[in-house]
Amino acid sequence: MSIRHGILGVLSGGPAHGYRIKTQFEESTGGAWTLNVGQVYTTLNRLERDGLVECMADADDSVKEWRITKSGQKTLSNWFQTPVDDSQVRDELTIKVLFAVVAQSFDVPALVQKQRGTAMGRLQQLMKRNREISRGDNLIDILLLDSQIIKVEAEIKWLDTCEARLLKWRKERGEL
Amino acid sequence: MSSDTFVLEFRDVQRRYGDPVRGVRALGPIDLQIARGELVSIMGPSGSGKSTLLSLAGGLDFATQGHVKVMDQDLRESNSRQLTRLRRRTIGFVFQDLNLLPGLSLLENVALPLELDGVAHRVAFREAEQQLDSVGIAKLADRFPDDVSGGERQRAAIARAFVGPRCLLLADEPTGALDSLTGESVMQLLRAHCDSGRTIVVVTHNAAHAACADRVIYLRDGIKVDEVSDSDPTSRVPTQRHTGETNA
Repeated sequence: MSIRHGILGVLSGGPAHGYRIKTQFEESTGGAWTLNVGQVYTTLNRLERDGLVECMADADDSVKEWRITKSGQKTLSNWFQTPVDDSQVRDELTIKVLFAVVAQSFDVPALVQKQRGTAMGRLQQLMKRNREISRGDNLIDILLLDSQIIKVEAEIKWLDTCEARLLKWRKERGEL
Repeated sequence: MSSDTFVLEFRDVQRRYGDPVRGVRALGPIDLQIARGELVSIMGPSGSGKSTLLSLAGGLDFATQGHVKVMDQDLRESNSRQLTRLRRRTIGFVFQDLNLLPGLSLLENVALPLELDGVAHRVAFREAEQQLDSVGIAKLADRFPDDVSGGERQRAAIARAFVGPRCLLLADEPTGALDSLTGESVMQLLRAHCDSGRTIVVVTHNAAHAACADRVIYLRDGIKVDEVSDSDPTSRVPTQRHTGETNA
């Protein structure tokens, strides 16, 4: 995901000026991704250079409106149709646990347990928010919250698995 | 908090199978206090003692050591008549399946515990209707369990578990057979019951459903290894670390 695709997504809904693009982008991500105006214009200029958007200056050139080109539509469509391959294991928690195992001197089950407790606390807050939000109508907020909930669930599931594997590993080696 | 405010209390409870001292340990030693209006989730891998804990809490099984109290009544010191009374009037159960009798309508299923307890037919049915209404399926009162969805069956099971004066619900994987959103709505229903003063203990493998609770307790090999409280982010209770002793 890049700001480029996000802006193309906003403009596929119709022409807009820079500030409108910024607010629409932020609303579309439920406020989870904020932009500054400089980022928006830098990206728009690059998109224009690549022929993916074009600028429609009004008579006095005071407010520039931008619109997506056919080429931009095609780029956006390709992006929607390409599955996300997020196979790179680079998140901090994973790396931290892996290094803790390598370090040997560190109490890895304690790390896992503490992290899981923190994640569960976070999940409790998200579920509380979920109870409040499910009565509302904002689909963007609901989908974003679903995504956050499922990611924390996955984190907890992975930590459960880590704990079980560590215990099994230690039992098999007679360390317990 | 004084002990008489606890709906459910475990004090130094152990459950071993076989020899009471050297037999296989299924649970404990464990201490647990659950207050009125609390929703508590129990999590842990298979064989960690979750269902044993629930069975002990419901008087379906007994501790080999320590004391389990429901509304200050010590279950091991209770006779069978007192236990039957407790299970009929104080404790409700919800399981993943096998909750409802297929030959009875939802209304008849919900009214059944009251009728078994000697409540007049008309009174029992009126109460059952109110309970079905409280879980949002009053319109399905005359349907049979096989004619409604899994989520609706679980709602009926919750209505039956809370019919009458019961104040403690013990639920073993109540969302286990349900899809994610239906399970979530069942948890929200349980949450609403707690907000109105009932007490619920839920065993679940689903972290999101567990997170609907005020407290989440983790068991491993029969021991409480962690406890996360919702009321205060700093209130996580450090508990006994896993010792590695083999259990059932």
